[in-house]
Amino acid sequence: MRKQFSLTVADLAAKDDRIVVILGDISVFLFNDFKEKFPNRFFNLGICENAIIGAAAGLSSQGFIPFVHTIAPFFVDRSYEHLKLDACYNQFPINIVTCGASFDYAWDGPSHHCYGDLATLRLLPGMQVFQPGSPKEIDALIRSQYNIGKSNYFRLADKPHDLNISIESGKALILQDKNADATIMTAGPLIANVLEACRDLNVNIVYFNTIKPIDKAVVSQFKHTRILVIHDAFGFYEAVSEIPNLNIAYHGLPADTFLCSYGSVPQIRKLIGLDSEGIRNTVLRTFGDKLQELPSIKNAL
Amino acid sequence: MTPDCKEIRKSILLASQKSGHGHIPTCFSIVEILYAVYSTMKHDPSNPKLEDRDMFILSKGHGSLGLYCVLAKFGYFKPERVHAFGGFQSDFGCHVDRLKVPGVEASTGSLGHGIGIATGIALAFKIKNSKRRVFAIIGDGESNEGSVWEAMLVAVDRKLDNLTVIYDNNQSQLRSLQIKNPAAHFEGFGCAVTQVNGHDVNALKNELLKKADTVKIIIADTVKGYGCKTFIENQYSWHRRPPNEAEYEQLIKELG
Repeated sequence: MRKQFSLTVADLAAKDDRIVVILGDISVFLFNDFKEKFPNRFFNLGICENAIIGAAAGLSSQGFIPFVHTIAPFFVDRSYEHLKLDACYNQFPINIVTCGASFDYAWDGPSHHCYGDLATLRLLPGMQVFQPGSPKEIDALIRSQYNIGKSNYFRLADKPHDLNISIESGKALILQDKNADATIMTAGPLIANVLEACRDLNVNIVYFNTIKPIDKAVVSQFKHTRILVIHDAFGFYEAVSEIPNLNIAYHGLPADTFLCSYGSVPQIRKLIGLDSEGIRNTVLRTFGDKLQELPSIKNAL
Repeated sequence: MTPDCKEIRKSILLASQKSGHGHIPTCFSIVEILYAVYSTMKHDPSNPKLEDRDMFILSKGHGSLGLYCVLAKFGYFKPERVHAFGGFQSDFGCHVDRLKVPGVEASTGSLGHGIGIATGIALAFKIKNSKRRVFAIIGDGESNEGSVWEAMLVAVDRKLDNLTVIYDNNQSQLRSLQIKNPAAHFEGFGCAVTQVNGHDVNALKNELLKKADTVKIIIADTVKGYGCKTFIENQYSWHRRPPNEAEYEQLIKELG
């Protein structure tokens, strides 16, 4: 996805000389071509996220369209106030593109995890929030959103899904409609696990890559069903839950704890029940006779 | 003190007394700086969005009342409008809002933000090969914030000789984290540094007009509450307090 991000931005920059790229000293090799073609619109400013967001806002104020890029926790957690004030409050829109969110860098531990990006950024007025699941999706989302006068957060994933699905930017996609009274909603690459787990079950499946604005119309189509949000971050469930009168539950990250286990993304997913087997078990249990409490996994973390 | 700067201080006192808001001592420390900047840079009060104007960013956003009164003095709006300072539905908040006040280029308040935006604007002018310049005032207290120094790293690395930062050295942090030799700090970062009396308009103007080959820092030695003995002798109690009518009369007398 990172490669697609760089290709998409380079392609757009050839036609739109307002585009500038600012890196926080990551993905530099992916932008060699961009740097060569547009040397005065490429800046690797170093490891200074607060200055990067401020500078991007300043560039935006003069008509440029900045793309800023580094690892999720450093922009979102460290520089949240700069996003809030420099970009959003000032109405100097910028495009923020991150990698490593949730536990994509599972082996690095909590300092490099970021499960709260979607939850916190969606609270900022004027900020749109996207979690594309594949290179095709990030390409479409950037092309459709980068210059609409709002700040955009694009969360890239290290392990995209490889499903052949087409989702319209800003919309949710009903992948499976069995007219069932149970519906699963998910976002981003985890859709691959969800489909593998539930394809043969009598459940509806709805896929999102736009967290804000959430597609209320599609969610509302399923408000007469019991909804289970399965997701590997915070924020998506909360966005769906704001639609009134839903019978809704969440399966995903454990509340109020850090994921301190190292390893790979599949290993952490398995640990917290987000591998295909864990998802299937949870779905079967949740949509049994009554909504059951999920077993605590805190002790295993 | 020049007559114009005295008049600006009086308008600050009046707006604060009428509105019941204001960080007056910190505003008084930057009156000459603001006056010198607006006397030097290219701008047009009758056309605040003039295309090739220079830009000023008040990074120490709580000096808002000082900026409003200087903008009024230069003709951006009538001074009476500032009497609604901090009031319900007023355009003139206790921190500046670029979408409400003509001449304000960035909304600031929380410290350590305006300087990053100013750096980005200077970078934008470089990309466009524009001769436009950017000026920013930062506070010595504000410079406790790490983001100020991040911005300096970037500004020096990018040789932003179109950015001039005036450091209001009003000793506001004597009781906490004082930066004892700011010139040495900025020199260490690679900035072009000069130091002047921050209440000498001509000295400030001379420094503002000088060219440098990288980001320029003017350490402006100032006094919180300059011009009023009451403020200077009681800085902490007056940090964020408007004068009542009797105090207002006394302060006007002290200004002379």
